[in-house]
Amino acid sequence: MRNISLLFRSVVKSLILVSVLSMAAVSARAQDVKEGASLFKQKCTSCHAIDKDLVGPALKDISKRHEEEWLIKWIRNSQALVAAGDEQAVALFEGHNRVVMTPFPDLSDDNIKNILAYIDDASSAPAAGSNQAEGGNAAAQSDDVSNFMLFGLIAVIVIAFIVIVVLNRVIRTLERIILNKKVLIEEEEEEEEKGKDYLGTIKRLAKNKKLVFFFVLGLVVFLGSAGWKTLWNVGVHQGYKPVQPIKFSHQLHAGVNQIECQYCHSGAFKSKNASIPSANVCMNCHKYVTASEKYNGETSPEIQKIYNALDWDGQQYGPNQRPIQWVRIHNLPDFAYFNHSQHVSVAGIECQRCHGPIETMEEVYQYSPLTMKWCVNCHRETEVNHKDNAYYDQLIAAHEKLKEGDKITAASLGGLECGKCHY
Amino acid sequence: MDSNKKYWKGLEELEQTPAFVKDSKGEFAEPLPIENVLTEAGLSTKTPRRDFLKALGFGVGAVSLAACQSTPVHKSIPYLIKPEEITPGVPNYYASSYNGQSILVKTREGRPILIEPNPKSIGVNRGTDAATQASVLDLYDMSKLKGPKIKGKEADWETVDAQVKAALSAANSAGKQIRIVSSSVNSPSTLSVIAGFVAKYPTAKLVEVDAVSYAGIIKANEASFGKAAIPHYRFDKADVIVSVGADFLGTWLAGEEHTQQYADNRGYKSLENKRMSRHIQFESGLSMTGANADARVAVKPSEEAAVLISLYNAVTGASLSGGLTGNEKAQKVVGLVSKELLNAKGRSVVVAGSNDVALQTLTNAINAALNNYGSTIDLDNVSYQYKGNDSDFTTFLNEAAAGQVDVAFFLNVNPAYDYFDREKVKGALTKIKLKVSFADREDETAELADVLAPNHNFLESWGDSSIREGYYTVVQPTINPVFNTRQAEQSLLVWSDSEVAYHDFVKENWEKTILAGTNRTWTDVLQTGFEYKGDKPAQAYAFAGDINAAAAAAVNGAKALAKDVEVQLYQSVALRDGKQGNNAYLHELPDPVSKVTWDNYVAIAPKFAESLGLGENSVVKVTAENGYEVELPVLLQPGQAQGTISIAVGYGRTKAGKAGNEVGQNAYPFAKLVNGTLQFNTTAKVEKVSKTYELAQTQTHHTIEGRNVIRETTFKDYVKDPAHGSGNHGQKHRTYDLWDKFEAPGHKWVMAIDLNACTGCGACVVACNVENNVPVVGRDEVRRRREMHWLRIDRYYSFEHDGEQVTEEKEIDRLSREDANMDNVSVVFQPMLCQHCDHAPCETVCPVLATVHSSEGLNHMAYNRCFGTRYCANNCPYKVRRFNWFNYWNDSRFDNYLNNEFTQLVLNPDVTSRSRGVMEKCSMCVQRIQGGKLKAKLEKRKLRDGDVNTACAAACSANAIIFGDINDPNSEVSKALRNERVYYVLEEINVQPNIGYMTKVRNTFEA
Repeated sequence: MRNISLLFRSVVKSLILVSVLSMAAVSARAQDVKEGASLFKQKCTSCHAIDKDLVGPALKDISKRHEEEWLIKWIRNSQALVAAGDEQAVALFEGHNRVVMTPFPDLSDDNIKNILAYIDDASSAPAAGSNQAEGGNAAAQSDDVSNFMLFGLIAVIVIAFIVIVVLNRVIRTLERIILNKKVLIEEEEEEEEKGKDYLGTIKRLAKNKKLVFFFVLGLVVFLGSAGWKTLWNVGVHQGYKPVQPIKFSHQLHAGVNQIECQYCHSGAFKSKNASIPSANVCMNCHKYVTASEKYNGETSPEIQKIYNALDWDGQQYGPNQRPIQWVRIHNLPDFAYFNHSQHVSVAGIECQRCHGPIETMEEVYQYSPLTMKWCVNCHRETEVNHKDNAYYDQLIAAHEKLKEGDKITAASLGGLECGKCHY
Repeated sequence: MDSNKKYWKGLEELEQTPAFVKDSKGEFAEPLPIENVLTEAGLSTKTPRRDFLKALGFGVGAVSLAACQSTPVHKSIPYLIKPEEITPGVPNYYASSYNGQSILVKTREGRPILIEPNPKSIGVNRGTDAATQASVLDLYDMSKLKGPKIKGKEADWETVDAQVKAALSAANSAGKQIRIVSSSVNSPSTLSVIAGFVAKYPTAKLVEVDAVSYAGIIKANEASFGKAAIPHYRFDKADVIVSVGADFLGTWLAGEEHTQQYADNRGYKSLENKRMSRHIQFESGLSMTGANADARVAVKPSEEAAVLISLYNAVTGASLSGGLTGNEKAQKVVGLVSKELLNAKGRSVVVAGSNDVALQTLTNAINAALNNYGSTIDLDNVSYQYKGNDSDFTTFLNEAAAGQVDVAFFLNVNPAYDYFDREKVKGALTKIKLKVSFADREDETAELADVLAPNHNFLESWGDSSIREGYYTVVQPTINPVFNTRQAEQSLLVWSDSEVAYHDFVKENWEKTILAGTNRTWTDVLQTGFEYKGDKPAQAYAFAGDINAAAAAAVNGAKALAKDVEVQLYQSVALRDGKQGNNAYLHELPDPVSKVTWDNYVAIAPKFAESLGLGENSVVKVTAENGYEVELPVLLQPGQAQGTISIAVGYGRTKAGKAGNEVGQNAYPFAKLVNGTLQFNTTAKVEKVSKTYELAQTQTHHTIEGRNVIRETTFKDYVKDPAHGSGNHGQKHRTYDLWDKFEAPGHKWVMAIDLNACTGCGACVVACNVENNVPVVGRDEVRRRREMHWLRIDRYYSFEHDGEQVTEEKEIDRLSREDANMDNVSVVFQPMLCQHCDHAPCETVCPVLATVHSSEGLNHMAYNRCFGTRYCANNCPYKVRRFNWFNYWNDSRFDNYLNNEFTQLVLNPDVTSRSRGVMEKCSMCVQRIQGGKLKAKLEKRKLRDGDVNTACAAACSANAIIFGDINDPNSEVSKALRNERVYYVLEEINVQPNIGYMTKVRNTFEA
């Protein structure tokens, strides 16, 4: 089922891409600003803001102060310009306490032009929060197998019920034809119909053994399947979305800003724990990124929470630090051992495979059921990523002798054995 | 010919007492309460259908309600500013040292959880001893002081500093004495701090005193060779080792280093080169060292002098009076041994355990006559491990009692507990104006002190140590100080008005002295953990003492001992001198020989016990010459010399903490001071008391029902046929399997255990406990046979009758009747753990498939599947599965150590802490296997031999446990298992175990 939804998603994605590309031709200018905005966020915001000085100067109306051509050179490598003795460059460098601007040799001319376009755009409309992140309400529909089964069952029951009712009607009609000859009974019936006695109808229905049988059967099947499903899902917290102390948006950070997962969750690549980043990692950007443009020049209250935790006074961390108490979303029981690095670094599995479309989540929720069945299914299906990993050479050779060309999954290397996860 | 020598685990088994027979027949040691249910009461009880339905309904309802809870909220709190070197989930290792042993401390998220030997260490230790392994638990001891105290009230360090400084300057200006009383200080930096302190306060002096003193050796060496030091013994260079009462593999001097040296001459690699040392032990109580000896002679403590005199006479041809009379076996053995010693001049060593100067002088004379100085005994690279001087301490007590001492500091000593004359200590202390204790807890001495300035645990400290000349180790902190403590050296620095931090002091001291002239830096040392300057060439020394005077003194000493019941005080291998008295791991580690836990006892030979009317579970009152008396339970100990008893010191602490208080009785007051040295051989009166007391012994818990689990041969036979005794001859029986052959195409994890190298010390047991979160269960539960150790060391006795091996059952009966004194028993140690059988009997009987086999040859145990039928334990031929009866970490009845959140920090987060009702057993450290494989995968390389090691194998100094992948033909374990000595325990039942044992080889007399 998930495969189908994945397929569907990729189809949708490519459709969107195509439409976006066709749109691009129509509104090139808008696209420049948009692309520039995203580049600006990735490359510039740690040192620059539009309307105030941070490490670097405020960039408002930058293109009015300098030639575009000069700006391109400067942004790509400011020190080369300074070394070449360019007057403007030297003056700028000396004027800012000789702080060296990071060179960006990988930015193309178009990229830089886009960034400048964005800056112009932002300069002309400073109050308007240009890029209000619209939280995508695209909570992934986790149409699970068991859900499907349940709805299927209910549908079958409903159909069966309708069939029973129709058949009953037919029988009634036939009976009436037979009984038409006996006037007395007909009269009685008429009387009853006149009274519109619902209780009587139910009573009559209750006398219909077939109907009662199917009704009871349906009830048993319904309760049984509902109970079965409930019991299977005891302790399964799929969709769990606790309220976090800081309204951190993965949609903004991982989605819009395209920050690599491992920038914050570096543990996932080398450790058992993916680890929540420590607050000083947040501060790498949020020393400067305060989102004040959205809060009338004030620091965003959510970002302020990081400052409070670190007792940050704008210059240094203070003594009254209070750790941020995040609420853990993915909880494995104590007896299950899970190691991120094995899956992420060795097997090369994408974070999204288990954590879902994290880059679209405004608030993170538990995407996968985290049941043993779910683990085991994946171990059964996933081929071992043994290419260019000398560790596997001998193992694969030994297994290929046994398996004779079958695909080698995690399971065939013992990935289903108890002691792989339980010790 | 295969040996079918008979082995027994305890006297109950030998004598087949009715209780033993009954217990061994039952499926479980404790009968199930089925009979209660099935007999009258159970059957006549009416459980009406309604009650049943009520209970059922309630149960179902309760379970459903419990299951309907919403998602539990777990907080996840990251670092605010993450230290760069820490990645949560990945351990960091720091080189450090404990008691001079070079170690690695494994830390997770900034807390130490395991101590491992430093694999790069040279010389002193290859593994670690049990005490070192267990020391990590001391860090998380709830009984520790939380901060400084003055006169019993909590104080801050400023007040403490002001008060101590005032007292010091008052004492200084009044010309009164200041004393620092400490156990041997072998840290160069601490000595330097003390030197600075003495420079500041000239009346100050360091008094070194050890609870168990080796002053006799130092004095004897001064008299014999003009060198007041303990030499460095080289058992690896000795072909013939004679020990008179020295437990040199266990508690005597550097047991761990000796074990390594000893095993190098007796393990499988040495045997493959047809080389094995001979070891003859004369001793009273059956020590661990005696249990490993090729020949052991029981002598009374009073006969030790005579043995040495006879040996001296035989070796040198002299005729000193006072040689052996009476003890025929000892005489015969001395005659034979002296010939061997003479044949191995310069390749032999004689050691004596006594602290008597005369006995040590005799030993020196014998060694000098055998040209052992310069080869097996090195007086040029001396040991600094024990420098305590008993007469210095006596002087201190006298000075203090005379009111001459105004200020005294107590560092790592506890004389109010471990000095023989405690009243004198207490009296002297009351005369001292200011007593400052550095103890980490309010122990027996700290209780009498005015100021408590608690020291850091060694895992929180900076420091260094040098237990041998030219060998220096560092101590570096692995955790921030948990409580408001301050390192003792730092306190001394503060009190001598120095501003320097102790870390800087140590660093500077190293750079100025130890590292001067080398190209290594302090950072290099922090990485490697030690600095070894190499040995100076050892010189030969000529004996220059007065042998006649020594012999006369020895004879006099022996006469004084030869009355009443002779008492030998010894240190137990686990608890040593009692300093780690609150360590639950050590209390629960069975004594290597007696297998007793959680108590000390009076060890007594069965025949002697009978003559006193004593039996198993008797209690005796032991009265010392000075009137001190204790009541202790009796342990019938085969091999104990007749007319003697042995009692372990280090027990009977009253102020150690929850786990250690009132465990056993204090035996230190039995010691006495003779000629300026503390003597641990003494005499006492023994009377039966009309009480009984059951010792918590693990000895007979796992009966082998006479099966052939130990295989043994002699060195002579081994040289002729390496497979002798192992049962590995030619064609094996044809076997038929019900099961398919088990395939392990990738890795296959196996182990080889060398019975000839294993000394039975138990370091592996503690290492396993710490690594695998094995709970401590306490004395009562051990009595119920519920100890949880995944790895145990079985100790088997067998009769050794004048060199002839006893092979037939009826002969055993005859001998056990004839030789009822049981002096002549020999001992084999066998580490027993899950054998990870390919055709495991436990797996076939598990109804829920909680224990299954892996493709790497491991027998997995899934705790979350297990629901506790215990069928597997019942079907295991090795009896290695342990059932978990309680939630030991969350049950107030087991308030030994783990029952609080602080101590729980010691748990290994990679291993589940098992809940009650499940079976557990050795996993072959599967978490380490998985970790090692993952590391190789991440580095995209092959798994190398040695990348993965189990905790037990890593801890073993003797290299008796070798672990590895048998599918790698070049691995150490593959090579070891190709040895001819390898056999598999109970291989005849064809469960195909994966742990190979190598036969025990004894280098017995050829007479």
